[in-house]
Amino acid sequence: MATAIYRPDSIPGPEVARLAPSPKSLAGLRIAVLDNGKPNAGVVMTRVAETLAARVGAMVTLVTKKGPRGESANAAIPCAPDVFERVLAEADLVLTGAADCGSCTAYSVVDAIALEKAGVPAVVVTTTKFKPIAETLSEQFGLKETRLLVLPHPIGGTDRETLCQWADAGVERVIAVVTQVR
Amino acid sequence: MNRYEPESLELSELSPEAMYELFEKHAWGDGLPLVPPTRERVDAMLAFATGDPDEVLTTLLPRAGIVTRRVVAINAVLAGCPPVVFPVVLSAIRALAKPEVNLRGVNATTHLVAPMVIVHGEIVARAGFNAGVGAFGPGNRANATVGRAVRLILLHVAGARPGFGDAATHGQPAKYTYCAAENLPECPWEGYAASRGVHAPSAITVHCGEGPHNVHDAEADGDPALILDKIASSMATLGMNNAPISHGEFFIALGPEHAQSLAMRGLTRTDISSYLYERARIPAGVFRRHFEELAWAQWMKTARDEDRLPMTAHPDNIRVFVAGGPGKHSLVIPSWGMTKSATVAVEG
Repeated sequence: MATAIYRPDSIPGPEVARLAPSPKSLAGLRIAVLDNGKPNAGVVMTRVAETLAARVGAMVTLVTKKGPRGESANAAIPCAPDVFERVLAEADLVLTGAADCGSCTAYSVVDAIALEKAGVPAVVVTTTKFKPIAETLSEQFGLKETRLLVLPHPIGGTDRETLCQWADAGVERVIAVVTQVR
Repeated sequence: MNRYEPESLELSELSPEAMYELFEKHAWGDGLPLVPPTRERVDAMLAFATGDPDEVLTTLLPRAGIVTRRVVAINAVLAGCPPVVFPVVLSAIRALAKPEVNLRGVNATTHLVAPMVIVHGEIVARAGFNAGVGAFGPGNRANATVGRAVRLILLHVAGARPGFGDAATHGQPAKYTYCAAENLPECPWEGYAASRGVHAPSAITVHCGEGPHNVHDAEADGDPALILDKIASSMATLGMNNAPISHGEFFIALGPEHAQSLAMRGLTRTDISSYLYERARIPAGVFRRHFEELAWAQWMKTARDEDRLPMTAHPDNIRVFVAGGPGKHSLVIPSWGMTKSATVAVEG
């Protein structure tokens, strides 16, 4: 005999966010790298930023860790407020990551959504292995469309030459997620 | 939204097989058999709480799922909780929602962290929690189901589903259930909750960390300080997240025999924390060699490489309570790191 039971989940209640307006052109844009201190995060994201800048005529204006004063970083908490303000003031496009673990993916997505809400497009640099987590968390945090650059896995422990190849190969994807009309 | 009424769905028959089929279809559950949350069972649970069952109390991250007394009760029924423990589950969830716990990180991380619930006070005896032999082990309904209910709420409401909201590389058995009671009758000091300023008839503590690491000291030498040296040695390891994150806590579950031996030498709970703070140390240069990023308190950054630094920034981060039965064992329970424990009164 069929019986009524309660569902064990409840509705999710995130504040729904929207992407910042996409720039029509990337030429002249100021690019920032927001580094969460994960091994090689700065290496691979800086390479993406520099290759992108050369390709579209933009410039890399800021490379910083996300902890207070940009001196250090902890990947498992949000970007420090002073660094967040500086990024907002000095950049038109932000690369943030690396989202290649669980809590660092969560907080890379949190930082990206905060930047998008503040009007600055942000791309979360993640890896193939953490793409499902990044997508799930983006939806759970209220911005399913969070811009992702998915690189091969792992970023930590991979040599610089390989990382640069991955970064260069990812630039077209960054251009696509930043400029696409939604 | 101030109120939320959970939806119902149809279970084809009241059997374990039908529950498995339904829950697997929705990717719910922890893999073990579940008790069907019928209205009657959920109401029986809610009878042990006060207040509006459908009042929105908080949300749980990363999914930001809404928490009401009824939502908690549904999951407590699923876990097999006796209704008398319902306020304990509810209080544990309230504690986990506190910002300092950083539940978003706790759930999402690749680390194997699980929230441990420690139960304090008069509800331990009243609801039949086990604080003695095998307190962290199987065989006691209250311990087993409270820990399981917390996990089911994290799965269903917080969205901590492995591979999606929970990225834990391995997970661990404590992610199924992780609850024990403080052994207050055999504690030579004031109770843990009172030591944290929570003076309620019953309270709970949540600590998000690893599973317990055993410390065996048979006290053959007759010097109780050697118990603490062994505990310190178990704390001072590079693999745990306490190593690079100095604001993380350690929970030390002293077996009653170790606690009595230490108290007989005049050591207080604070003395024990101070001793472990002094002894559980590693040279700064070794930390620096192993970690690209060190989330250290500012004063630790000034250390020279040869200076021996503590495993946590302050003695107060080393939290001591008494649990377990006869025997010469104690436990070290490291932290996930970017989280703080919370102790709250048990309230419905």
